[in-house]
Amino acid sequence: MKALSVLAALAMIPLTPVRRRRRGYLTVHEMATLAALCDCVIPPDHDPGASELGAPRYIDRLLSAFDRSDRPPRIFAGGPFSHRHDGVRNAFKDFVPLTRLEELRWRAELFGSAAVAGADVNDAALGPLRGLRDIYREGLAKVDEAAGGSFVRLSSTERERVFAELGPKTFTPDPRRGGLTFVDHLVQHTVEACLALPEYGGNRARIGWRIVGLEGDSAPRGYSIFSRARNDYVERVRHPVSTPSPDELAADGMTLVPRPLSPEGERVQSSIVRLVRLVAS
Amino acid sequence: MTRSDDVLGNRGLTHFDFCIIGSGAGGGSVAHVLTAAGKNVLVLEAGGNPFPGLDDPRSLPPPLHSNDELKYAVRRYLYPDPLLEPRTFRADPARPAQLNEDVNVLPKAVGGAFQLADAKIPRFNAVDFRLRSAMEATLAATPGLAVPGFGADTASANFADWPFGYEDLEPFYVEAEELFGAQGLDGDNVFESRRSRPYPMPPGVGMYVSRLLADAAREVTLPGAGALRPHTYPAAVNSRFRDGRPPCIDCGHCCGYGCTTHAKGSPAVTTLRRALLSGRCQLRYNAAVVRLVHDGGHVREVEYVDGAGVRGRATADAFVLAASAIESARLCLLSGALGNSSGQAGQNLMFHLRTIVNGFVPQRLHGQRGRAVTHGLSDFRGVLPGGAAIRVLQHERRPMVAMGGICEFGASEGKPIADDAMVLTRELPEGFGVRSGLALKNALRDQTLGQHLLAVVMHAEDAPQRTNAVDLDPRYRDIHGSPVARITYRSHPYELSARRFYRPYLEEIVRAAGVPPEKVFVAPLMPPPRTHHVLGTLRMGSDPATSVVDPRGRFWDVDNLYAADGSVFPTSSGYNPTLTIIAVALRIGHGIVGTPVSVRDGAA
Repeated sequence: MKALSVLAALAMIPLTPVRRRRRGYLTVHEMATLAALCDCVIPPDHDPGASELGAPRYIDRLLSAFDRSDRPPRIFAGGPFSHRHDGVRNAFKDFVPLTRLEELRWRAELFGSAAVAGADVNDAALGPLRGLRDIYREGLAKVDEAAGGSFVRLSSTERERVFAELGPKTFTPDPRRGGLTFVDHLVQHTVEACLALPEYGGNRARIGWRIVGLEGDSAPRGYSIFSRARNDYVERVRHPVSTPSPDELAADGMTLVPRPLSPEGERVQSSIVRLVRLVAS
Repeated sequence: MTRSDDVLGNRGLTHFDFCIIGSGAGGGSVAHVLTAAGKNVLVLEAGGNPFPGLDDPRSLPPPLHSNDELKYAVRRYLYPDPLLEPRTFRADPARPAQLNEDVNVLPKAVGGAFQLADAKIPRFNAVDFRLRSAMEATLAATPGLAVPGFGADTASANFADWPFGYEDLEPFYVEAEELFGAQGLDGDNVFESRRSRPYPMPPGVGMYVSRLLADAAREVTLPGAGALRPHTYPAAVNSRFRDGRPPCIDCGHCCGYGCTTHAKGSPAVTTLRRALLSGRCQLRYNAAVVRLVHDGGHVREVEYVDGAGVRGRATADAFVLAASAIESARLCLLSGALGNSSGQAGQNLMFHLRTIVNGFVPQRLHGQRGRAVTHGLSDFRGVLPGGAAIRVLQHERRPMVAMGGICEFGASEGKPIADDAMVLTRELPEGFGVRSGLALKNALRDQTLGQHLLAVVMHAEDAPQRTNAVDLDPRYRDIHGSPVARITYRSHPYELSARRFYRPYLEEIVRAAGVPPEKVFVAPLMPPPRTHHVLGTLRMGSDPATSVVDPRGRFWDVDNLYAADGSVFPTSSGYNPTLTIIAVALRIGHGIVGTPVSVRDGAA
């Protein structure tokens, strides 16, 4: 009975396209587009991709950092410890109140320098700094345009093709932002989301750190444990400070048996050496 | 979230004997010495406060610092913002300077920049304090020897002896090591100059990557000087319970991060806290001084903008500049070329020229555990053991002097965003990096850079040059409406020749650590040298015609103004400078109030 009345109520809602509401800055549709784009940056394989790690939520939290006036904007997580390594409570959740200059700077970052009194100090010489909120809203719309209407409706192969073609023709490099485009911001924020503290909204269940084999925050336990009884340090067996990783040592405890790099990892190393030698010559 | 009520310490004070501008290594040290001598001190700090309750006498409360890569390495917590407080840079004084986001920008906060450093505190060598006369004597005694910036080439640089010697400063080095809590191993570094007291604490656990490179260095020989002698790196980091602070836990978030446990002996938790607990210190933070108000030879008050954006003024009998080399000089220039009768205020700006030799190793280095760098090498400073004389080598059948600097043995601290992902996706140009897709994910899984890239970094001494300078940019302004600092800087053949000479040996160390020759590379020089070692601009000396402040740190031409930070250094040596900044500031402080050096046992 109750279910039926809910259905009836739903039927009353007009079917013309409306901007569907949610908390945060981006709309439901924009969030879906963003999730598909984040998965182009870090796709799922045997490990989750960026959207499953919470990258869209991370980005939306950044864009809406100033939307609540009852608590500090979520720009700098608090300190000193999380609850993960013997901390008594998770202080990372108590974001740091911003100073006046920090607030000006981060409002300008999100809303643009022209919208923030005082942050426009060199705009006459440089032109205004565009805010990330506009950059995302326009960027996501342009991605839909490049996809011929709706990016999320494309197959994953088609998404990859459209994503790969999002070059300077679609997005003009912004000189005020070091020549970066919407795609550069998207890539940057996606990797931040996957690898930053989970308190910022991404890195769900710390899976991002697990994928790259890192421990993330470690205090107050740390890695060298001071023994008052011995008046000296004791290292953690599986996480040593002074010796090679135990999983890269042969049974003799001396011979290194490094885990092989992926072909991409090898290629990055040789490109870096090649690039540096090119620059030097 | 703005508050103008940003005060630590005694709020009731109304008359101040001294006003100190800056609360870091220099300002904190002076505040401690002056308050201990019974003076009332006002400290104005432009940055915010990551140490709530620093003035709590009952205990030292936890800081806002954390193991958070995003906060520090990406969102730049505590750094001045390039939008609101930009700087400009040029290498060529004939051209306009361009905005530059990182021309040696230092963090700005209660306790200063050192809180985000990995707190390495070697001393300078004895010969550093009389480098000019020692080099001239060496040249006179060595036929065929030529050194850029000396002899026939003297005019190309502006070398000078310090107005005091190592032996004069040695007691203040001891005081600094006791106050900040130095860990180190006595006798480990043969190039270290005479110490009158042992290190307060032994070294903590050595890091794998540092030990690997130290072992490699022992296999390398510098012709004429023998096998290299790497050593543990002195650091202001507790390795024992001491001074009410715990031993370091090697959490791995050290260089670029604030300490979460107070194990790091940063100014806030050492000198500044002592000053605040004396009852004679009031510290106003988020208080950016914009001008010193004066009548030419005497400062009456300072004008500052507080945390609510409101302009205020502060008066005191005397004033101490300790805002770091670039900002202290800029404040003089913003105050109508105050203290510049020598014409050298803002000049002789020195960084350290870094030579960074990198290599990829197959195994994981786990630099995310430890204190960033635990071992180093002083063989390339260019002095004889004991550090009292310049070393002359034979090179290509000619005598050779090469004044390089200390070398650090390290790797990434395992920063997966800044040291890996951002390099792959953004810093490497098209065609060299990996921007997206499974290729990016696989490269990130490897932590190609973060786990496999090691580095030997030499900090070579920079020659002082009058043409390397801070002045006011004619085009750009900061949030307070003041012209921003314009940096004009070009490296001198003095440091470039030292770089050229030591570079093959640095590469040899990296190869000896197990890096295949095709995976060794030297980071190209891209001016300006980006370093946190920023010195000079308000040179200290014995002659008012050629120096800005006198041997006691007082301006020659302003009777109640002192400088007590890295700005007063006549030369830069080739060691991390903070311990010397602290020791010089302690000496200046004691000189002002006439108190003897105080060395007390800091054991908890």
